[in-house]
Amino acid sequence: MAHLKGQGKTFIFPVFIMGSFCITILAGLLGTLLPSLNYLPVIGHTQISLKPWLDFFSYPGIKTSIRVTLFSGLATSFGVVSLAFLFISFFYGNALWKFFEKILSPVLSIPHAAFAIGFGFLIAPSGWLVRMVSPGMTGFVYPPDWVFLNDPEGVSLAIGLVIKEFPFLIMVAMGALGQLEIEKTILAGKALGYQKEQVWLKILIPRLYPHLRLSIFAIIAYSLSVVDMAIILGPSSPPTLAVLILKWFNDPDVNFKLMAAAGSLFLFSMVGLSILFVFFMERAVCFFLRFRITNGKRRSFPARFKSIVFFMVAGIIFFTGAASVVLVIWSVTWRWQFPDVFPIVWTLKLWAKGLASSFDPVMTTVITGMASAFIGLVLTIGCLEHDADSKKNQTLNYNTYIHYFLYLPLLIPQITFMAGIQLSLVILGMDGYWITLVWSHLLFVLPYMFISLSATYRAYDTRFTDQAMLLKRSYPSVLFRVKLPMLLKPVLFSFAIGFCVSVAQYIPTMLVGAGRFSTITTQVVNLASGSDRRAIAVYALIQQSLAMIIYAVAVISPKILYYNKKGMQV
Amino acid sequence: MKRLFLILLGMIFLSGFSQAFAQDWDKIVKKAKGQTVYFNAWGGSQPINEYIRWAGEQVQKKYKVRVIHVKATDIGDVVSRILVEKAAKKNKNGSVDLMWINGENFKAMKENKLLYGPFSQELPNYRLVDTENKKTVLYDFTVPVDNMESPWGMAQLVFLYNTKNMATHPESMSDLLLFARNHPGRFTYPAIPAFHGTTFIKQALYELIKDPRVLDHPVVLPDFEKNTRPLWDFLDKLHPFLWRKGKTFPASGSQMLSLLNDNEIFISLSFNPNSASNAIENGELPDTIRTYIHTTGTIGNSHFVAIPFNSSAREGAMVFANFLLSPMAQARKADPKIWGDPTVLDTRKLKGRDKALFDAVPKGIATLTPKELGRVLPEPHVSWVDALEKEWLKRYSK
Repeated sequence: MAHLKGQGKTFIFPVFIMGSFCITILAGLLGTLLPSLNYLPVIGHTQISLKPWLDFFSYPGIKTSIRVTLFSGLATSFGVVSLAFLFISFFYGNALWKFFEKILSPVLSIPHAAFAIGFGFLIAPSGWLVRMVSPGMTGFVYPPDWVFLNDPEGVSLAIGLVIKEFPFLIMVAMGALGQLEIEKTILAGKALGYQKEQVWLKILIPRLYPHLRLSIFAIIAYSLSVVDMAIILGPSSPPTLAVLILKWFNDPDVNFKLMAAAGSLFLFSMVGLSILFVFFMERAVCFFLRFRITNGKRRSFPARFKSIVFFMVAGIIFFTGAASVVLVIWSVTWRWQFPDVFPIVWTLKLWAKGLASSFDPVMTTVITGMASAFIGLVLTIGCLEHDADSKKNQTLNYNTYIHYFLYLPLLIPQITFMAGIQLSLVILGMDGYWITLVWSHLLFVLPYMFISLSATYRAYDTRFTDQAMLLKRSYPSVLFRVKLPMLLKPVLFSFAIGFCVSVAQYIPTMLVGAGRFSTITTQVVNLASGSDRRAIAVYALIQQSLAMIIYAVAVISPKILYYNKKGMQV
Repeated sequence: MKRLFLILLGMIFLSGFSQAFAQDWDKIVKKAKGQTVYFNAWGGSQPINEYIRWAGEQVQKKYKVRVIHVKATDIGDVVSRILVEKAAKKNKNGSVDLMWINGENFKAMKENKLLYGPFSQELPNYRLVDTENKKTVLYDFTVPVDNMESPWGMAQLVFLYNTKNMATHPESMSDLLLFARNHPGRFTYPAIPAFHGTTFIKQALYELIKDPRVLDHPVVLPDFEKNTRPLWDFLDKLHPFLWRKGKTFPASGSQMLSLLNDNEIFISLSFNPNSASNAIENGELPDTIRTYIHTTGTIGNSHFVAIPFNSSAREGAMVFANFLLSPMAQARKADPKIWGDPTVLDTRKLKGRDKALFDAVPKGIATLTPKELGRVLPEPHVSWVDALEKEWLKRYSK
């Protein structure tokens, strides 16, 4: 069969994405590499040397900072991945799973900073949980002096990260699980006398893993380089590496910038080595545990295990929900002190003020989010159409390597390349424009949209389009009148994810937007540098509701549009 | 063509002369009309943000200058951006027209020639500034201001405490140590190099050093160890009795305010003598909070606004800076119900309506009188900051 008119040209989409991602990120890395080698002519450094690196390694507390970063990052990744696999094995398809599926969208839409603030207030020694039982059960008239939150080892940070990243991995897994023949496999396994969990562990998880690999790498990169959550939940003296580097970048003493550049490349190498380590772990696991798959053991899981996983997942749901509830309470608080369980004076003043002053930032956020998600959608569908085309015609598929390019922005710490991108944009005179801001958001929007849409898009039954082509023979009209309407639900869902990712961007918005674009997220981060929890709560809730509204639209509109076409609602 | 040539010639002529002669203020106001000023200022406080919005509305009405408050989390970030712009030879149309600044950030901007000016002497309201008694408007952390920034407000270190939790308050650093011993876990200070944390150790050094006069001069490294010995001894003794046993510190001065409200700590600190009154006014703190200072006096300084070298709206920025110095704007700023930031003006120079504006400013419930605030200690020479921070990190950030 020949290329369809129009579809044959879709190769430009992946080529465009790969080219532009590559150029942008290389420019960013170069803008970091040169200063790390003491080359930054504007402050009079033109002599290439390793001094920034030596400064970096001799900075007081740097070893602790690196250790804490590694610990919180790797503990998070290990925790999320193992909990996710156990959760899937034990609970796939049952009530807890279905409940989790239902709450997944709103949970994912909670911004990281907002969650961290709520979670921090929950677990602090003066926080809501202690207030609930004080002074009645504990006798605490004053909060206890426990090293709980912001602990020097980064444990509270790791727990917060696990709670926030676990739903993300489950979302990716849900997409991939649709492609495995789960029911059949379990049935066959059971017929051979294997417990369900054993079938999962021996057959299904190994087949699921490749679908999750890049997302797991992204989680590793994220937890090692996270800034906002680390400021709120992490240690302060010394803080994690990413926080320290950001401080140096912002230091008025310009010489710190060189050290910051070296540090951010070191952070990048930590991410790289961790990923490499996981890569070898995969090989090792394959090699050493292979015999376990075929050892014939059919039951080995104590039920106790299942209840531990149950409690952990229930804990994640509880903390996520309670963190949101506590934000709502703070937003209508006038006075609330330890050990009162609820505020003593309530008010709507903060909302009145917040709503009045957040109109412009909200508009900027919505317009930027819509634009990036729309462009992201066009590019993603373009790529996936090229996929379909090359598969059908057995021609060269440019998408084969696109994953590696798409994931680059997620695998390289933001601070490592965004500062360099800023420098390049200023040199080109292109900073502070809305369009460059949208592009910088797309670097992060596009990968997530691609992840969320590709599985369902590829699973589309092409017999529908083949049939339509026979009747109509116009590729665009078949695409827009048959295929996309049938895929409306995943398409809208992916749009919503793109929108939320754009909403959440802070560092790109500040650096590329030259501070001229204030979004709801930049407002939240600004207020978070102050002390007023009530104002922070109001803004964080406005931020969160933007995300929730778009998710709701994505979920509900197919139901309304196709109210009389039951088969299209899935 | 000929006319265009003449106009161009005229423009070159004018620009040449404007360097040589002081610009006429009227001309500046005229030029400022229609300009948009991107004012980069810390955006972490709602009352301050609202005050800036009010000021922007006023200059829009009076001078047709549009002010956009670009909220920054850390003004060092803005210094970075201007530096990057200089690196890229972006010598006009910079992204920042006016910025809220002082101390280290000012020093960095001045040293790297990132500032426009001198300009503050051209502002008509500048003559109302109290340059006689408020020396810190001329020396920003001991760095000569040289009219490269225009004063905006005054600051002095004060301690906040909850009268409900303690009957008396410490009056010196040694008192504070005693308090910490009796109330383990109820005091802390922000992690260095957070601004308020650095100020706290500077204050401690002032009180403990044998000869405070050495602080007026650049750090002499061979003597640093000997001079600062009493400070480290004090901190070594204090830390085990701090909040979280000194194992971790709050990340910022703002976090200290939350901790005070949560009753986690009993004593907090602030750089604004009115901040407790303001926080009580807007519900952030209980009305049992009061402020105090140590009998030796406490460190004070000023904060300013400055114009970057590549601003495209210098005139607009100057008009706004001048408005911020007006008695109307300064009196409103000093009101604890609004913001409570002390004025840089010499209120004795004011007459009639201007004076009445200041007389009408209520004294905050937790604010000390000027007499009680007493002697303001000058900032140590700016080189001490770096040396102290480095040593602190080496000792306590392991």
